[in-house]
Amino acid sequence: MQELKDLENRSIYILREACAEFKRPAVLWSTGKDSTATLWLCRKAFFDKIPFPVIHIDTTYKFKSMYAFRDNLAKEWGMNLVIAKNEEAIEQGFGPKDGKFECCTRLKTHALMKCLDDNGFDALILAIRRDEHGIRAKERYFSPRNSEFKWDYKDQPLEMWDLYQSLTQDKTHTRVHPILHWRELDVWEYVRQEKLPVNPMYFAKNGKRYRSLGCEPCTLPIESNASTIDEIVKELRETKIAERSGRAQDKEKAFTMQKLRALGYM
Amino acid sequence: MNVNVVFTGHVDHGKSTLIGRLLYDSDSIKEGQVTEIQKLAEEYKRRFEFAYFLDAFDDELKEERTIDTTKVMFKGKNLYTVTDVPGHKEFIKNMLTGASHADVAVLVVSAEEGVQEQTGRHAFLIHMLGIKDLSVAVNKMDTVEYDKAVFEKIRKDVTKLLQSLGYRDLNFIPVSAIEGDNVYQKSEAMSWYSGPTLIEALDTIRPAKIETKPLRFVVQDNYTVNSDRIIVGRVESGILHKGDEVVFQPSTVKGKVEDIRVFNGKLEKAQAGDSIGLVIDCNPNRGDVCGLITDPPVASNQFTGEAVLLNNYLRQGEILQLRCGTRKVRCEVKQIQERINSETGVVIEKYPQQIRQHDAATIVFATEPLVVEKFSNIPELGRFILIQDKNIGAGVVLEAAR
Repeated sequence: MQELKDLENRSIYILREACAEFKRPAVLWSTGKDSTATLWLCRKAFFDKIPFPVIHIDTTYKFKSMYAFRDNLAKEWGMNLVIAKNEEAIEQGFGPKDGKFECCTRLKTHALMKCLDDNGFDALILAIRRDEHGIRAKERYFSPRNSEFKWDYKDQPLEMWDLYQSLTQDKTHTRVHPILHWRELDVWEYVRQEKLPVNPMYFAKNGKRYRSLGCEPCTLPIESNASTIDEIVKELRETKIAERSGRAQDKEKAFTMQKLRALGYM
Repeated sequence: MNVNVVFTGHVDHGKSTLIGRLLYDSDSIKEGQVTEIQKLAEEYKRRFEFAYFLDAFDDELKEERTIDTTKVMFKGKNLYTVTDVPGHKEFIKNMLTGASHADVAVLVVSAEEGVQEQTGRHAFLIHMLGIKDLSVAVNKMDTVEYDKAVFEKIRKDVTKLLQSLGYRDLNFIPVSAIEGDNVYQKSEAMSWYSGPTLIEALDTIRPAKIETKPLRFVVQDNYTVNSDRIIVGRVESGILHKGDEVVFQPSTVKGKVEDIRVFNGKLEKAQAGDSIGLVIDCNPNRGDVCGLITDPPVASNQFTGEAVLLNNYLRQGEILQLRCGTRKVRCEVKQIQERINSETGVVIEKYPQQIRQHDAATIVFATEPLVVEKFSNIPELGRFILIQDKNIGAGVVLEAAR
């Protein structure tokens, strides 16, 4: 399909730019379909071996099957896997009961901050897409974060054509978004075309399936009978339901996502 | 086919509302989004607005204006990526960011206010960006009682503005985003108008004819894979074949393309847009541009460009960085030939010592060796950004030295 080829070409171009412009990039992998497709794009861009670490943020609240999927694929694709965990908060028993905003910030954002500090990464490749959420629709391909990890969304860089801004003066790192322009449907068509592995939780069982994967306490399945990739593609062509409808942190309050992202959430 | 369309125009002329209406009427709004927005509107004691589908920042809602550019997608006869841009002067940076990927523009003009400052500036900038396909939506027709005379007056004013930039044969569509007239559905309130609705105008867009252009491949990097050295980059124009004799500039190295590589495969040829790898017996650098030895790229130390400035000042003699393709070079503002009012396109000063924020200008740049192409010939290598700590301006190449 020419459309998928165009999407892929641009993503590969962006990944190669990130690798050429930054000293220590890393890619974030949630084990979900988008970031798995992004890892595959990395393999394509760099001719098989991903030349930088793959970070998985472990909140310890992920679904069991996500851990199994992670460990299998990490081995199969020869990843240099780095697990980021906020050990301190986890030891203190921090969790969803403390509020979704606080929990996401501590267990995800803070875990990632520490991982960046420890490893000195200056670019983080993330598989966010514009069509997932209104706030993500406002993102740049290369998006700087300041020393406090914050996204200055009111003063984003001029980003014209494919001439990305990669300076990092008093910026601790740059977020790179190689699949920003993909839709959910594109990802699934790409998964089908490239025969990519995906977590079985995406496929319907007893009339329900997960459309977006996160932490177990905060992620709900949707009603669906789509039990194959073909059926998922068909469902997405027709559905009126938002992709992240099962993700609690998006809907707790108005602008929770904006506040989370301003603090450095993905 | 995929169409990138940007909605431009003055603040409060209804760009976001018009896009929101398009999404709503084309049934592209997700379930729950309407109730979510109704809830928000209540919380902020506002009435329901179609613009809230786009304005996702709380500051945008509080201030009732768009701050940064948004892209949303919906399907008509084409698959549209619609870009909303802010209409405030202080956010021109975000407007340019949003408009730089567009194939098509819609200029939104309020029937109440007619041509305003950013109407002119946005028209000038989309023209500078080389967007040739432009429609004009005269919005808020409901507020002028769908009066044909108001529409005709604005059509006259905007035609004058756009003709001075070189636009001809434009679609003018009277619409009301709030009421839904002539956006997705034909209006019953304007029987005097027999032209297309906005969606009909967009749906008639067909891909531009692909012209035969010389091969230009930009080098991003080189990798060593299983002891093979692979030069990676993108074909920006033309076609590259296995076996081609090519030259890289400004490195000046030459070679024969032994293989065109992609992951797990080899290609016989690659075309514009393809991200590929080359196996070749020479050593080009990141930033080089490659072409056939029979029609090679030329590196030079000087070119003339038209640029728009986003930071406070740019002075003659100033040294900064410039990026074109994948090459970043030091450059000097050798001579500012014309200072141009970006609102009107009119030259306001010849050979000034400096230009200011939001000015456009014709500038002669002296650079380290660099391949640029005339924007009208090969746009991909005819556009550049100016860098001083951050990206401070952007422009297109008017004349490349040969």
